[in-house]
Amino acid sequence: MTQPLLEVVDLQTHFPVRKGLLRRTVGAVRAVDGVSFSIERGRTLGLVGESGCGKTTVGRSLLRLVEPTGGSVRFDGRDVLATGGGELRGLRRRMQIVFQDPYGSLNPRMKIRTILEEGLIIHRLGTAAERLERMTVALGRTGLTAAALDRYPHEFSGGQRQRIAIARAIVIEPDFLVLDEPISALDVSIQAQVVNLLVELREQLGLTYLFISHDLSVVEYVSDEVAVMYLGRIVERAAAERLYAEPLHPYTLALFSAVPSVEPGRRRRRIVLTGDVPSPASPPPGCRFHPRCPLAEQVCRQTEPPATMIEGHAVHCHVAAREVERAGGDAVVASARMAELMASNTALAAVATP
Amino acid sequence: MPLLEINNLVTAFHTPAGRVPAVDGISLSIERGKTLGLVGESGCGKSVTAMSILGLVAAPGVIEAGEILLRDAGGNALNLVTLPEPQLRAVRGGRIGMIFQEPMTSLNPVFTIGDQIAEAVLLHRDVSRAEARGRALEMLELVRMADPRRRLDEYPHQLSGGMRQRVVIAMALACEPDLIIADEPTTALDVTIQAQILDLLADLRQRLGTAILLITHDLGVVAETCDDVAVMYAGRIVEQAPAAALFAHPRHPYTIGLLAARPDRGGRAARGKRLRTIPGMVPAPQHFPSGCRFHPRCAYVRTVECASALPSLQEVEPGHFVRCSYAEALGEPRRTDAALENNLALENNLARENGA
Repeated sequence: MTQPLLEVVDLQTHFPVRKGLLRRTVGAVRAVDGVSFSIERGRTLGLVGESGCGKTTVGRSLLRLVEPTGGSVRFDGRDVLATGGGELRGLRRRMQIVFQDPYGSLNPRMKIRTILEEGLIIHRLGTAAERLERMTVALGRTGLTAAALDRYPHEFSGGQRQRIAIARAIVIEPDFLVLDEPISALDVSIQAQVVNLLVELREQLGLTYLFISHDLSVVEYVSDEVAVMYLGRIVERAAAERLYAEPLHPYTLALFSAVPSVEPGRRRRRIVLTGDVPSPASPPPGCRFHPRCPLAEQVCRQTEPPATMIEGHAVHCHVAAREVERAGGDAVVASARMAELMASNTALAAVATP
Repeated sequence: MPLLEINNLVTAFHTPAGRVPAVDGISLSIERGKTLGLVGESGCGKSVTAMSILGLVAAPGVIEAGEILLRDAGGNALNLVTLPEPQLRAVRGGRIGMIFQEPMTSLNPVFTIGDQIAEAVLLHRDVSRAEARGRALEMLELVRMADPRRRLDEYPHQLSGGMRQRVVIAMALACEPDLIIADEPTTALDVTIQAQILDLLADLRQRLGTAILLITHDLGVVAETCDDVAVMYAGRIVEQAPAAALFAHPRHPYTIGLLAARPDRGGRAARGKRLRTIPGMVPAPQHFPSGCRFHPRCAYVRTVECASALPSLQEVEPGHFVRCSYAEALGEPRRTDAALENNLALENNLARENGA
């Protein structure tokens, strides 16, 4: 077993809530509240969840763009949270991020040359001639040419800007990229182009990705492993093909069924969850999903569900744990049973079944 | 007789850079109680179409040609293009309700939910304040708002995104409109909340018989909610059909491309294969190509004719219209397969052109 490139244990990132004249801390938004995962070199972990679940904060915490409150992050054996100064800078050269909005993430007053060169200069990589060479190569890899260097961001379309943002991330030759909703702001016809580019770069450069998205289909396509987040916690994690084939957590099941599909055969009964996601400033006790869960029982309201493991598939749910036990550890049977339970316990919406 | 009929609508913006024809000759019709999905990417003209119907096109935009007919139950038609503003104001929010993408911007932050819904009623109905407030409560119950009586006195910022969108829907329905225009009503919402809102809209349509014009970029949403679909590209309708037919047998290269560009759910077998793409990018209205506007990005057929002559919207099957000179040929799957392979080469060429 090789050592994972990135290992995150019990990561917590809380934001203080301040009130009153003295700005006293009266509470905390527990954006990320005990998240653990690891990613092996060259692999992609997909992180899915709805807005406010903490997935973006996880990505930023890994790079210390926001300061985590607790837990540990090890990158290639080194403790990211304990380093500082030059050593942190060295680590950051190897960890880069691509943001959602290519309009907001590129400084409109800077030429593409300045945008790309900044990282090279900060990390003291190469002479001026070598830097130009690196920038040209990075642009080439993203489907652009050196002609882009002397232009400004506004001269490019959304898809091209996202290519520039990717070029900026890879120009300093990192090992690991956090991709935070990299295609959500793009038109449908452009999304596939950027997804293909990201997959190609991963193969060519041996990159490791944390792919954060709310788009379940794209995450399935890109990821080796997928983790589902809800209210600051990972509720289910498994190899991509297993998670999609045999989801066990009620939230995962509801999420999958809520995605509208154009495939007639897939248009089945939708599990419509009631209510909204509670505030992460005051998460409910016990299982955090229980106020919206159609299968919630007494134990769910009181006790935090531990992880149930079935051959690398982890799920945090009391009911799923019982069903897995009953199915003798067969995840396929347990998943089917969970879906059945969900169906008979929810207000069902019959969706245009052909 | 359709409830709403749009004939050859042209809406253009006269900017310092020249005339920009955002909507360039579209025709649509919606029957009573039916849902029509208008699909397309940003800049295709779908929202301008909605604004044209509502008479809300702002300067420098002008409706240059065409008619928009709204019929009453007796079949008498009003042409919204020529209707004077005071009458138009009675239609807007009265016979046609509106739901926009971002509920926070369509609600006034300084008035309570109850006041805002009541205002819509007072504008269009001859009722007292108390009656309007009663109607507001009824509407909140109709859209299944939890604890409606308390919500009446709350402000928009006290509600979540999904609840705000319910308020907007309640306002749109308050005067029992014949038609609701919903412009990306669920785009700003999470999928589980989107499911709730789509579910609600479908239920209300069934109970009240309201027709819906649903404008969206999400083909999945259309597939699950609409009876008919019109696909727009660069100011024109390129394909129009009953939803089931369109998704089972898309005929226009753009529609085929859009559907193929999404990875299939459960399509793990597709991993390792490149996703199909539509090469290039959506043209800006100032730079609409000549002939078929999709031809520079089309992987199927690119003949001299495509670049010069505008194809007409032809009926390939009953009720299924396609604006492509090769629509008949594209019905053959063999042809389609061959075209897929052309895609990569074309994509690389265009990328080179664009990057240079």
